[in-house]
Amino acid sequence: MRRAFLVPLVVLCGVSTPHARGADVHGIALVGGKPAPNAVVWVEAPNAPKEPGPRPVLDQRNLDFFPRVLVVRVGTAVAFPNHDRVFHNVFSFHDGKQFDLGVYPTGTVKHVTFDKPGLSRLFCNIHPQMSAYIMTVDTPYFAVSDANGSFTIAGLRPGTHTYRAWRPGAVEITGSWTVESSRSLEVRWP
Amino acid sequence: MDRRELEKSGSPVAVRTAAALLFFAVALAPVRSYGQTPTTELDVTVGNSTEPARAAAVQLRVFGNAIAGWQYYAEASWAQQWAPRESDAFGSGYPYDKRVRPAEMYVERTLLKGRYLAGVRAGQFRTPFGLYSRSDQTYNGFTRAPLIRYGSYWALSSNFLEDGVSVVVGTPRLVVEASAGIPQDHDQYRRRTGIDSTIRVQAAVGDIVVAASHIHTQPPAIRRFAAGSAVFTGIDARWMRGGVQLRGEWIDGQAFGGTRTFGGYVDASVHRPAMGPVTAILRAERLDYEAGRFSSYPRRYVAGARVRLSSVAVTQINLVHQPTDVRLGGLSAVEFGLTISLRR
Repeated sequence: MRRAFLVPLVVLCGVSTPHARGADVHGIALVGGKPAPNAVVWVEAPNAPKEPGPRPVLDQRNLDFFPRVLVVRVGTAVAFPNHDRVFHNVFSFHDGKQFDLGVYPTGTVKHVTFDKPGLSRLFCNIHPQMSAYIMTVDTPYFAVSDANGSFTIAGLRPGTHTYRAWRPGAVEITGSWTVESSRSLEVRWP
Repeated sequence: MDRRELEKSGSPVAVRTAAALLFFAVALAPVRSYGQTPTTELDVTVGNSTEPARAAAVQLRVFGNAIAGWQYYAEASWAQQWAPRESDAFGSGYPYDKRVRPAEMYVERTLLKGRYLAGVRAGQFRTPFGLYSRSDQTYNGFTRAPLIRYGSYWALSSNFLEDGVSVVVGTPRLVVEASAGIPQDHDQYRRRTGIDSTIRVQAAVGDIVVAASHIHTQPPAIRRFAAGSAVFTGIDARWMRGGVQLRGEWIDGQAFGGTRTFGGYVDASVHRPAMGPVTAILRAERLDYEAGRFSSYPRRYVAGARVRLSSVAVTQINLVHQPTDVRLGGLSAVEFGLTISLRR
């Protein structure tokens, strides 16, 4: 019953710009009818070919992580540069990828490869108010919603897909969706 | 040594000249933009000690990216303590004087060019001596500042603030930080006005960070007999790995002419996965203040925990034992603090 209640709505709107291998799918994430920023949305594709992707960065600046929510594909190395004058010590103990980068100064960068799917909660051992999330997914089709709740998943092939969505402080939701012209994906939490 | 004599000595002038040159070099460098939005933090803390003492404090800070690659940081604090006699309980980094005070307010920019870095900070900032940053000393599990960082022990103070300029040059693993400024302390042990300077050299090797600091500053304004200069040299070190942090500071110098203050502390914080929201803390410290019949030799031992109750609430519990000193007496206390932190 709860699961059925959480199944997101699918509404008409927009698939745009046919990609060489698929289309760019636009969507919006909502919570209680309002835009949900920092929502991670991904489409399952466990057998998708491995291709080199962008090199993601989780910056440490102004005693904060930026971005606070990052999504990467399994096997991706994330850079953790320190751009503050003070030391930082990024660690993840709870679940997902577990690591401790030790203390390191401004101007230095450390890397962590996220090698299995799941959510990693990151903190700084020196600055307890710093926190961030890295969601590792086994698919090349993913996005994070912006301040308006909008997101774009690039290069999705035509057909019916299973998608999943998560945002900080909420349960993960899932549903199916068919890529069609002029249809967008709407992910909705109650 | 008064201000004119100090300027004749050359070192503050040299520091200020170097700071001015670096300031313009950094300010005119190419710009890189970042998408990070401004951050606002509000901390509210209440505490109780069986010493006895009670305290309440509020800090509001705003920080983020300004223009042309500069970052800004502004903080104001208000705090009050209720105690039948002077106590340093909860005085870990803000003055408890019932007034709204500006704390740190500065702009800074750091440039990285190949293996080298340079940075400048201008405004009001914590005196860059030893483990001086706010996050190193305030509400980090310990309810009291170290003995060497509380003014009434005739040493340094975590409440030392400077109006001036601080510059850093070096590489990420070896950096020199120098500052020149005018004391702007807000607590009752504030220093006299005048030019002062600090220099700090820091090296990082693996997970170990070691540094040496030197400060030449003004003596406390609290007493007429406190003449001459306050001069301290210190070393500090920190190691952190796997949720375990060990660190320590040692200083030697004088708070004013004719005295000597030396001492330091070592402390540990442990947060292993099996400990859940609990971070255990331990500290041992000593301080020797040699001033004839006014000498004192306090020692202090602290054990406690920092417990994260929720995403916004943290509590600190400390057991504090300070053996009896001929002049200062002794102390055994249980202290409890609760901090609510909101960040937007």
